[in-house]
Amino acid sequence: MIDLKLEHVSKRYRIRREVEADAARHPLVRKLQSLRRPSEEFWAVRDVSFEVERGEALGIIGHNGAGKSTVLKLLSSITAPTSGEITINGRLSALIEVGSGFHPELTGRENIYLNGSILGMRRHRITEKLDSIVEFAGVRQFLDTPVKRFSSGMYVRLGFSIAAHLDPDILLLDEVLAVGDAAFQAKCLQRIGDLKRSGTTIVFISHDLSAVERLCDRVVLLRRGEVVANGAPRDVITQYQNTAAFQSSQPAREELANQQRLVEIGRLAFRDAEGRETSVLRAGEPFTMSLGFTAHAPVADAVFEVFFYSADRELQCQCTTEVLGGRVAVEPGAGAIEFSGPGLGLLTGVYYTDVVIKERGSTEFFDWSQWDSAALRVDPGKLVRGKFYMPCEWRLTQENEAAASAPAETTRA
Amino acid sequence: MSPDISSNASTDATTPRASAPRRVTVIRAPSLSLSGLLGSLVKLAQYGDLLYTLSVHRIKVRYKQSLLGVSWAILQPLSLMLIYTVIFSFIARVQTEGVPYAVFSYVALLPWTYFSTSLTNATNGLVSHQELVTKVYFPREILPLSYVVAALFDFAIASTVLAGLMIYYRIGLTWNALYALPVILILTLFVTAVALFLSATQVRFRDIGVAMPLLLQLWMFASPVVYPLSAVPAGLRGFYVLNPMVGVIENFRRVILQGVPPDFHTLGLSALIAVFLLPAAYIYFKRLEATVADII
Repeated sequence: MIDLKLEHVSKRYRIRREVEADAARHPLVRKLQSLRRPSEEFWAVRDVSFEVERGEALGIIGHNGAGKSTVLKLLSSITAPTSGEITINGRLSALIEVGSGFHPELTGRENIYLNGSILGMRRHRITEKLDSIVEFAGVRQFLDTPVKRFSSGMYVRLGFSIAAHLDPDILLLDEVLAVGDAAFQAKCLQRIGDLKRSGTTIVFISHDLSAVERLCDRVVLLRRGEVVANGAPRDVITQYQNTAAFQSSQPAREELANQQRLVEIGRLAFRDAEGRETSVLRAGEPFTMSLGFTAHAPVADAVFEVFFYSADRELQCQCTTEVLGGRVAVEPGAGAIEFSGPGLGLLTGVYYTDVVIKERGSTEFFDWSQWDSAALRVDPGKLVRGKFYMPCEWRLTQENEAAASAPAETTRA
Repeated sequence: MSPDISSNASTDATTPRASAPRRVTVIRAPSLSLSGLLGSLVKLAQYGDLLYTLSVHRIKVRYKQSLLGVSWAILQPLSLMLIYTVIFSFIARVQTEGVPYAVFSYVALLPWTYFSTSLTNATNGLVSHQELVTKVYFPREILPLSYVVAALFDFAIASTVLAGLMIYYRIGLTWNALYALPVILILTLFVTAVALFLSATQVRFRDIGVAMPLLLQLWMFASPVVYPLSAVPAGLRGFYVLNPMVGVIENFRRVILQGVPPDFHTLGLSALIAVFLLPAAYIYFKRLEATVADII
């Protein structure tokens, strides 16, 4: 049973460059302007087709501007497609931004009715659900307080709670987990899981790839408004990670062509604690990273560097032989350099790597991967709070010498 | 019609959840069709609760933090009545067919205030709810309509003052006063049509909102609010009655103050225009609705 079906759906936007806000306001001036310069066309979604089975959870992923939100707006009738056909079997609710229908002067109770009916819930259904909505949001004592006195956390919780109690046949969720504290996020995920188990069809859009993988049965990858992959979450997510996030910002290769590539970069591979090759590591757990290379001439003091960038292109950290001590003397031929550590410091997320091989003290590179190296996903491992994991050991000292212990000694005793 | 949403019930009992038949919705590119228009009306009916909740919301929010609360609904036509009474019965003398000027103007200000308040608020109905329009789907016409309903509520409140004035001036009602109900119905149809048209146009051209106060002032003086229809030169009258507000206001006053049946010629003309305009305005509104979230 298909609950949701998109057939060759496209959405075109016309972008009209307006010269001056004031001038553009006048219809006459605007008309003249638009005659002079034809409006630019932009296809936010182009020939998209996919289906969602009843009770299935479909994830939609893609970079910013790939058309994810437009697809959601089309599915929820917020805007109409330019061509194509969407068939929806059942009652559909979309949660695009929680609490957008709240009015500050009205009380929590009044806003539950207002927001509930904006989302398409009948009044008597809201009355039936009032208790569970209030319970879930944890705002019982503020029920008759104007929501303008609510904290932002209460606001978000109430918004999600109303939407989570709509009982739709099909639920669309757009980045709903981007708000609220960790405890509430966990509660939201649990609620979404409950809805899914009760047979609700879910379409989930998120940048949180680990949540997508956990929640979804199937994932669609969008790029520039088109479906480029549609399949098992793990496969599609891996494909997404491997499509370079930095495509657009690559400098010209010619720059490097002039240089002598005395040492060429080979493959970069990651291995987990058991030594298996993988593209997924866990935070705080042992890791090995091996970088292959081919040297065309002997280098007395080579430096190998691997940089880790987050999805938003910010440099997170670096592994370099430059600061690790010792001299790396390379003989002609193929080889590999291995970095390893007892605990991976990177936190959950997707990282892109960049590799540089150079000679110590030189500003010129032998070779540079230009951000085109392997992608790495880090899954939750050791529970780490804060910005990064710091490997450390512990040792207890007490006045009473006999009671002092350290992990190593305990195992020996 | 857009978005072109056609609905029909599907029976399906293969899964445990499908206890009730599910509705199948098909969304296509905007196109004009009769079934699309009917589909829109069905959708609107499904969202009846939202219209109710939003209308109550309008009334509540308006009076929530104001000192005078609901009495503002009375104060507006009342103060206008006092001003016009001073101007048109003491300074300039307007012929009122033997009725005290205060009640003569107040009875006309009731439907007029309903009309002008509806339009002033409804025109901004879509634009002032951008965050909703771009985030949630519901039939957009509910936004302007809720302002019309709220103004109708004000109209009912302000009518109590009319009752007081009529007792004071000892003007009795006859059964013909019941004709006021169809008159108000025609006015509601007409104001809904204009509200739909203006609120949709306002999304593209914000000039509408700026021009509204001036437009409404001109419109009021082009309607028999402060003077009777009989004061209009007979040669101009055929043209004058093309303003649907003429038939509405003149007949509302006539059935209440004079206790005679309405003039079916002028009222019929207003009704005809309203009945013709409303579907046209609705189709226009729904056509713009399809892309309103993109251009708002």
